[in-house]
Amino acid sequence: MINDFHYLKPASLKEALAMYAQYDDCKVICGGQSLLIVMRQGMVAPEYLLDIKHVKELSYIKFDDKDGLRIGATTTHREIEKSDVIAKKYPVLVAMEEKLASIQTRNWGTIGGNLAHADPAGDPGPVLIALNAEIKFGSSSGEKTVPLDEFFVDYFETKMEHGDLVLEVHVPAPEPKFGCAYQKFNLLDSDMGIVAAAASVTLNADGTCKDARVVLGNAGPVPLRVTKAEDLLKGKKLDDALFAEAGQIASEEAQPVADIHASEEHRRHVLGVLTKRMLKKAFEQAQKA
Amino acid sequence: MSHAKYSVINTHVHNIDGVAKVTGRATYTFDVKLPGMLYGKILRSPHPHAKIINIDTTRAMELPGVKIVVTGKDTLGIKQGIWRRYEELCDEQVLPLEKVRYIGEPVAAVAAVTEEIAEAALDLIDVEWEVLPAVYEPLEAIKKEAPTIHEGVERNVNVTRHIEWGDVDEAFEDADYIREDWFKCSGQAHMCMETRAAVSSFTPEGKLTVWASTQSAYYTQGLLAGVLGLREGDVRVLAPYVGGGFGGKFELDAAMFCSAVMSMKLFKPVKVVFSREEDFIASKRRTPMFYYVRTGIKKDGTFCARESRMFSNGGAYTGMGATALYLSGFFHSFPYKWRGYRYDGYRVYTNTLPSTSMRGFGAPQAMFCSEQQIDWICADLGLDPFEVRRKNGHTEGYEVPGQAFIASCGLEQCINEIEKWVKSKGKLPANRGIGISSCGFMSGGIFNWFDSPYSFSSAVVTINVDGTVELHVGCQDIGQGSNTTMAIIAAETLGVKVEDIRVHSGDTAHCPADLGAWGSRQTLMAGNAVKMACEDAKKQLLEFAYAEMGINIVYDLDIKDRWVHIVARPERGLPYGDLVKKALRAKDGQRIMGRGYYTPHRKGMISPAYSYMMQAVDAEVDPETGKIKIHEVMTAHDCGQPINQLGLVGQLEGAASMALGYAYLEDMPFEDGKMMNPNLVDYKVIKAPEMPEAGIIEIDTYEPEGPYGAKEAGEGLTNPTAAALGNAIYNAMGIQMKELPITPERVLKALREKKEAQK
Ligand SMILES: Cc1cc2nc3c(=O)[nH]c(=O)nc-3n(C[C@H](O)[C@H](O)[C@H](O)COP(=O)(O)OP(=O)(O)OC[C@H]3O[C@@H](n4cnc5c(N)ncnc54)[C@H](O)[C@@H]3O)c2cc1C
Repeated sequence: MINDFHYLKPASLKEALAMYAQYDDCKVICGGQSLLIVMRQGMVAPEYLLDIKHVKELSYIKFDDKDGLRIGATTTHREIEKSDVIAKKYPVLVAMEEKLASIQTRNWGTIGGNLAHADPAGDPGPVLIALNAEIKFGSSSGEKTVPLDEFFVDYFETKMEHGDLVLEVHVPAPEPKFGCAYQKFNLLDSDMGIVAAAASVTLNADGTCKDARVVLGNAGPVPLRVTKAEDLLKGKKLDDALFAEAGQIASEEAQPVADIHASEEHRRHVLGVLTKRMLKKAFEQAQKA
Repeated sequence: MSHAKYSVINTHVHNIDGVAKVTGRATYTFDVKLPGMLYGKILRSPHPHAKIINIDTTRAMELPGVKIVVTGKDTLGIKQGIWRRYEELCDEQVLPLEKVRYIGEPVAAVAAVTEEIAEAALDLIDVEWEVLPAVYEPLEAIKKEAPTIHEGVERNVNVTRHIEWGDVDEAFEDADYIREDWFKCSGQAHMCMETRAAVSSFTPEGKLTVWASTQSAYYTQGLLAGVLGLREGDVRVLAPYVGGGFGGKFELDAAMFCSAVMSMKLFKPVKVVFSREEDFIASKRRTPMFYYVRTGIKKDGTFCARESRMFSNGGAYTGMGATALYLSGFFHSFPYKWRGYRYDGYRVYTNTLPSTSMRGFGAPQAMFCSEQQIDWICADLGLDPFEVRRKNGHTEGYEVPGQAFIASCGLEQCINEIEKWVKSKGKLPANRGIGISSCGFMSGGIFNWFDSPYSFSSAVVTINVDGTVELHVGCQDIGQGSNTTMAIIAAETLGVKVEDIRVHSGDTAHCPADLGAWGSRQTLMAGNAVKMACEDAKKQLLEFAYAEMGINIVYDLDIKDRWVHIVARPERGLPYGDLVKKALRAKDGQRIMGRGYYTPHRKGMISPAYSYMMQAVDAEVDPETGKIKIHEVMTAHDCGQPINQLGLVGQLEGAASMALGYAYLEDMPFEDGKMMNPNLVDYKVIKAPEMPEAGIIEIDTYEPEGPYGAKEAGEGLTNPTAAALGNAIYNAMGIQMKELPITPERVLKALREKKEAQK
């Protein structure tokens, strides 16, 4: 059952940050899609709830050919899914959003809330890391931007401290020969992933691999980059054998935890399969780009 | 006969309570709020098996807002069960006095002024336990050295069931080929949208009123009266709207019992609503079953004999398990003719959530084993699975020896239609296959173990002066649309429109007794009662019309579409409304009332009629991850004359989603007696976006025992699906899935084993 709390509704970002700094036992709520679940379970029982859903300054999607994509923290999953410019420039994000929960949840849930929640099974984390995104967060005493890759610290823990709000996600403009793909494994398509893999590939003009990223979802306490697999690919002419080898590495490097939905062995196996497939898909996109 | 022109039957009729439901006006038990009402919560056992040494409620009683805390000692301590005519099967005290037998079993209940206070008070109840060794699997529990779960029950065997006909051993000797397999079928949660809920109000006059989420107001009334020491007539049960039942809501549950016990002590209304978690861990579930199946067949595909042994996980109590044990064994023979058939079922107590009836009543498990094994035998012998099913299938006039008489049967047409459909699909891409499965189901059980030997239904119909009709039925609408089906039958019979009928159901004070909604009994049994009641009332109207119209006796009169007319000269007649007004005007206050009832007599052991079907499932397997994708489900279905066209489609789709869930998603894993996924994140049910197309081909038959030729439609449709999916995977990948649910990991394991075997 949800405890009684004081409800704070700031009208601006400034007010939000000031309120957040003022109250110690205070939790931020945006879409509430993750927070309300843990509150109902009694795992979180704050005295104050700071509702930032109405802070319009944080709700935007901006794209510029040079600067890339900027998404404000309170932008909903559904807005990202339905954005024309994202569909054109970063189709992998739309594909990811389309399978993130139900439409009802996507209408409420926000990108900032998702990343702040830091569930290792979350979908946006791995994809955005594969896209080389960075995240801006800040409090009344200042802002900070870090690569998203460094933002996650542990299960449900980030670099943010009390008083910090996620402000923006920034994705660099895609390079000319770039591809990125993501897939989660689950029993029902819109469920949380049992495991997931994102991969991106950037090719040189001669077709060799300039850069590659492999990021696993729900394979450890945070979205897990498999640099060993990335290093294997860089500088090489990519082929199926390399993708399979990278998959094998991902499967070994992963730290998945067994539960009723799948054994550790099965998780490792599927992570290998997904890594292989996503690399191939990203590679084919990069070739076509 | 079956081609008679109907005005209402099998036309496009919307659910008569649809508007109330979609506009949020329907009052479910969950919505009931009475003045001064208290909120109850239940303390549940954390142990799978433990003696209750002492329960100290002092601290809980001291919490401000708490009005009462009750334990087993505050009750009459009556052991109850739905098989009331068999004392040894009444084994469950809803608040046990001596020991608990599964995690989640109620131990005490609190009523307080708010739900929050009641919940907080649970933590203040101090229970002293003596933890006992526990056992969770039937094949363990049946061993000599296993702990005793119910005193005096040897080897924890709760019930056994033997079914046999023909000379089984001799028939096996005639077989050219014998195959045997072991199968493991899982449990399944009923997952009703409305969790178990009840509001009880006991007043100083000694009368108890209970709003309950029940499949049978009649059973709830009888069971409550029994455990509370009241007369049945002093207990009124109301169930105006019920948010799903699926076989899980016709026993006494802790919401009903605890709210009633506390209300009787306080003379105040008490409401108890299960949380979703409580509904998962402490209601009851589909029966998990281990099946051994041995089948003998001739080279030409003629079935000779079958012998099966089944061990079911009964959990802690009997529930409806004894019936599931019998029906599983009976339908395991379906829909085929066996010269010799033998089934031995053992229901074994364990320290887990009790199992009971659930949509299909043991048949989905039985068919998962039977229909897959038949396909494997066909592959072993190079036979055509359609042809073999046609060759051995039930036909009209067949008698299942000593068990059942088949008066109508459209199985062969079902097989033909599905064969056509499958062939029309042509060659499928790699890793994709279509599997088939056929079966049948009862149209209402003829058994009753509650308080009379009969499985009866009844109805009363009253014609108002303006021609509108009050139809009182004991059958229970639980979302399956029975009120609409009854309104259709009434409107057709009386010759009026559906909107002329007001259906009254779910109220023991005003509706005639009826066993309620289980075992697919309502369309046939309650439908017959409604038809008879309406014919009775109509006859009274027509008697008056004969007098009024002064026509020759050789002419028959009838009413159709509110027009009373001479059958041979339909243009000659008068409006129904005028007739009713005239007929009632001269009366001294007597009403035009019709009474109807139905009880099957001399209809075998199981049911007066059987539905038949064949289903095909089109599915694809990812050979690297094991993930299953369902493309389509198609069912050819013989339910006699369809009555409620839209209801039938709804039943088909609902059954497909539930049965597919059973086949590849839904599971209730237990660790040390604790259910590991009692929430809707971890318990997987198909959601709307994942629901595949589910089509239906209706086969036209006429069932002489059914109202207007109708049979069951809805429950039986859950029977074929798991097997059809298994067969689809077999056809796609060449692997045999012997365990439910068919998970990706099990698929990959089977693929690995297949590879190794090929080496
Ligand atoms: C049924 C269901 C299915 C789901 N399936 C998926 C899925 O498949 N994939 C997936 O990735 N997610 C899934 N989710 C999770 C959900 O979509 C996200 O976690 C959600 O979008 C979080 O956003 P929110 O705005 O609702 O955050 P909230 O619930 O409001 O907040 C979540 C956490 O983030 C903090 N927070 C929120 N906004 C900020 C901010 N701007 N700055 C700092 N802290 C903040 C809150 O304090 C809280 O701790 C599912 C959720 C539900 C209910």
